[in-house]
Order: sequence, then C-alpha cells, then structure tokens
Amino acid sequence: MTQVNITNLTKRYPNQPAPVLDNFSLFVENGEMVALLGPSGSGKSTLLKLITGIERPDTGDVQFDGVSILNLPPSKRGAVFMFQKSYLFPFLSVEENIGFGLKVKRTPRDEICREVGRMLELIGLPGIEKRKPSQLSGGEQQRVALARALVTHPKLLLLDEPLSSLDTEVRLGLQEAIRNIQQELKIATIFVTHDLGEAMAMSNRMAILLNGRVAALDQPNVLFHRPPCVESARFVGVNLFLSGEAANGWLDSAVGRVKIRDAKKAGRGVFAIRPEHIRLFKEPKENALPGVVQGCLYRGEYMEYQLALGGQTTRARLPLSAGMFAHGEPVFVQLPAENLFEVAG
Amino acid sequence: MTQDPLSAFENNIAPPLKIRVLDFWGRLGGGLPRIPLYTLLAAPLGVFILYAFSQGWFFPAPFPETWTTSAFERVLSDSRTLTSLRDSLMIAAAVSLLSLVIGFPAARALGLRQFRGRQAAWLLLYLPTVVPPLAIGMGLNILFLQIGLAGSLHGIVLAHLVPTLPYVTFTLAGAFARYDEAYEFQAWVLGAGAWRTLFTVTLPMIAPSLAVAALFAFLISWSQYLLTLLIGSGRVITLPVLLFSAASGGNPVTIAVLALVFLAPPALVIVATARHLHGGEIREQY
Repeated sequence: MTQVNITNLTKRYPNQPAPVLDNFSLFVENGEMVALLGPSGSGKSTLLKLITGIERPDTGDVQFDGVSILNLPPSKRGAVFMFQKSYLFPFLSVEENIGFGLKVKRTPRDEICREVGRMLELIGLPGIEKRKPSQLSGGEQQRVALARALVTHPKLLLLDEPLSSLDTEVRLGLQEAIRNIQQELKIATIFVTHDLGEAMAMSNRMAILLNGRVAALDQPNVLFHRPPCVESARFVGVNLFLSGEAANGWLDSAVGRVKIRDAKKAGRGVFAIRPEHIRLFKEPKENALPGVVQGCLYRGEYMEYQLALGGQTTRARLPLSAGMFAHGEPVFVQLPAENLFEVAG
Repeated sequence: MTQDPLSAFENNIAPPLKIRVLDFWGRLGGGLPRIPLYTLLAAPLGVFILYAFSQGWFFPAPFPETWTTSAFERVLSDSRTLTSLRDSLMIAAAVSLLSLVIGFPAARALGLRQFRGRQAAWLLLYLPTVVPPLAIGMGLNILFLQIGLAGSLHGIVLAHLVPTLPYVTFTLAGAFARYDEAYEFQAWVLGAGAWRTLFTVTLPMIAPSLAVAALFAFLISWSQYLLTLLIGSGRVITLPVLLFSAASGGNPVTIAVLALVFLAPPALVIVATARHLHGGEIREQY
C-alpha cells in the first residue's frame, strides 16, 4: 500500500527546445490505477524512466508515502515496469524469469518456488514453469512479464503500453486480467496508453498528457463527457467546437445561433458536443443548423457521418436506427442544448 | 470443369522438370571447384600426418613403410616443447580474457551510444589492423626495454593485445548495435544492482558474441610470431617461435609433429565455439 506523489517534475534533453516534461504533477492513491493518455512524444515514457530512476529529472520530486525516492538507485525504489515487449530474459525459463526479482533479494529457494507457483496461478498459466520464453505466445509472454513484476511486491507498477502489440481478443482478456490482479493486490499503478477505450476500461482516474504536462485529470466518465479544454476534448473524440459570444442562454457562433443551457453565461466562450450527441434531420428542428453530408462510414455499432457545418467539418455518430443520409444530402444538424458544454479555449 | 490459372499454379507444387535438372547441374557446378580447393587446404595437413607418424620414409616409396608414434613421444617429452606449449596457452588465454575485459566497455559505448568523436574512436581502434606489425613491435620493444617489460610473459600479453583488441571490439560492438538496453532496465527495477545485472543479464545476452570474440583473440594470439619474438627477446619461446626455429633446423619429422601440436588447441577451441560462429551474434530477444 503506497501513495505516490509526483511534484513539478521537469526534464529537458539537450538539443531539444521544449522540455519533455514540464512541471508535471500527479498523485496516485493507495491501490489506484491512473491511466496516462497522450500522443507519442508527450513525455509518457520519459515519466516512467524518471520514476524508476533510469533517468534523473532536472527539477521536481517523486515521493512514495511522503519519502523522496530520487536518491535511491533503480534497484531500491520498488517501482517496476512492464513494456510493450515482454523483455523476458531469453536464456532463463519462465520459472527463473519470474523468480529473478526474488533471487536477487536472496529469498530462500523453496519460497521462490512457492511464490512462482502462486504467481502462475494468478496469471492463469499454471504448469509452464520449465518453458522458455521462445515457447510462449505474445499474450503469454506479457502475462509472465506481469508475474515477474508483481512477485517482488512493488510499491508502484508502471505499465507502458503493455498490450498494444497484441491481437484484439488477447488484449481484451489481458485488460481484464491486469485490472483484476491489480485490484486484488491493491498496487498503485500508472498505466500509459494511447488507446482511449483501454484507458477508460482499466483506470480509476485518467490523465491526459499534452506537451509534457497534465492537460486534464479526472474519472474516465467525467473526462469523457465533460473534458475541460479543447485539446483534451479532441483527445477523447470531440471534434465540433463552436466559439462565439454568449448571452441570455444563446450562443452566436460563426456556424450559427444555438441555444445553450447556461443562461447566465455572457461574453466569449467555446462550446463543444460529443459526436454521438449530434442528431441529423431532414427537416428543420429546434437548435438545428443547416449542413451537408460529406461522407458516410459504416462502423458496425453505429454510422459515422462527415458533415460540413458552416465553415467547419465535423463527425457525427448516429445509431443505425436513426435512418440513412446520402452523400451530398443537405441536412439539419441538431445540437441539443443539454449536450453542449463549455470548454476552455 | 474449368480450372482457373491460380489454383492450377497452387496445385502444381513440384517445380517443372527443366528447372530441377538445371538445379542439379547448378549445384554440381557450384560444388566442383571446391574439391581442388579443399584438397589444396588439406594436403599440407596430410603430408604432416604422414611424416609425423612414419619412420624411414624415403624416396621413391609413395607411402611410409613403418608407422610409429615415437616422433610424437620424443617431441612431447622434450621440455622445450612442453614449456612453449604451456607459455603459448597461458598467453593466449590471458590475452583472450584481457581483450574481452578491455574491449567490452568500448564496444558497448560504440554499439549503443551516439556521441561526438565516435567516428574518430572507430578509426583509432582500426589502426592496429593497418599499421605494419613490425613498426608496432619495434616501437613497443624500445618502450618495454625502458620499463622492464621486455622478455617477460606480461610484456608479450600486452603486446598481443594490440592486434587482438580491434577484432574483439568490432565483434562485440556489432552485438551491442542490435542489443536492447531495456533488458538491463528490467533487471534494475526488479532489484538487481549494476554488477549483478552485468553478470546475470548483459553477459548471458551477448554470450554468443563473447565466445566468437574470445575465439578471435585466442587464434590471433596463438599464431603470433613476430610480436612474441620482438618483445620476448628470445627469452620467451612460444610454440610458433619454436616451430620457426625447427623449420629452419630442417628435420621434417620434428616440423610435422610440432605443426600438429600447434594445430590442436585452435582446432579444439573452434569446435567448442562452432555453433556460435554463424547465425545470431546475440540471443533472440522477446
């Protein structure tokens, strides 16, 4: 049980104009899983290197239960990680791989054997002790890598896109397994991913990392439905933004005049709507703006329409039951007032 | 039933006869030049074996009439042979170990890192392979005479490092160029310190390359004549030095026996490392 407090971490590499991490702060509660979501180059992997001690930050601090770990070597920090590649030692058996962390701590042989057996049960692969990593599938390798990380009873578990090289089916199974094991063992976990669905499914809280700092941090459902700023909204799939002057419950935007719920809002503002809340009609409706269908994609669970709305193009996701709209068809795009929310420009 | 061309192609698994015939002659043609080549390489060895195990083999007899191991017994019971064999083995083993120890950090830096002056470092490491060994040997001899290393085993080991280090460093640098440091990061976060990680992760990962590099160092040191002669000042007689003096002595039986003794250890070392000689130079990574 460990609380992890990362404060004002900054890291700048030589020959790079902007810092990779810029005053990054994050608090991870006992047994909590925080997903770190961000585009490549946003500093996710650097953060993990700083926490484990592979690299040193320029400024800032990392504390486990209120004690700084920055002056400890990586081997004494108790922060373990797991990557996209399993990095199982190819010359060791599964058993020796999982037992590696215990062996370096001089744990007695029979205890190692017992713990390895327990871990293999936990990851759902009992009886593969004697196999070599080359004899395992990708998913099995990742499970063994997880067992190897967990057997040392780490204070913090760092997962760096551990599932992104796996097939969908294996990935979904492992998402569940990792989540269950993490909750069973109550290990504070930071989970780095660029997959929004994965982040939402697995985490207690989700942080969106942009340009080396936390742009948004909240529970997945809150962040998904009410992202606080334009960049983070784009990252959770929002792509229609209306900016303009608000007064008396109306917003005058470049695209058109729409009703908003907040009657007190006055002055400039940016409002956004999730693509699945946009509705299309063939006839005029309340709060509907004229637009043109530019494209139409069948996505299985829903239809995705590309729309030209004023000068903007945007996407709407409609249930299959909502009727079909043809390419080039003029439509009325309804933006329900209760679904419009304000974001920071 | 109509057959589409694709399935016809798929069903016809065996290649057409014409191609098979061509393949046969092609292979035979490729193999033929090897026969004289192998004969050429093996012939001296056959002559050595004939001489070493024969007694009174005189012209015009095509083969020796009596076979014996007495020449072997004579040469191997000679204390000079045994001393030179021991010195050669000790020097070659020490040179192999030292060049791995010295070459490893350089190879790691050259293989894994990009830094200013990397090209210059490569060039400097290459130099011993292009500078004539006589020049190096003469210079080293003068230096070693001044600091008291001339004529000693230590001095010869140091001198042998000059030609072995480039090969060891290049071999290991090639391995590190395809090596992923994250294996070491894994070991660190699992609680292993720097030394433990070196011995339990890094070295096993590049073990095949270490074997090849050690083999190079051993062979180069083992067959080193000029540097040994210059630095040893005639006080340290290794097997090549002994072989050269025997060769100028002119007894074909002694020469043959010594040559076979000289061949044995490298042959054993090559057999021991043969499975690493081709294929991956580092272990497969998962």
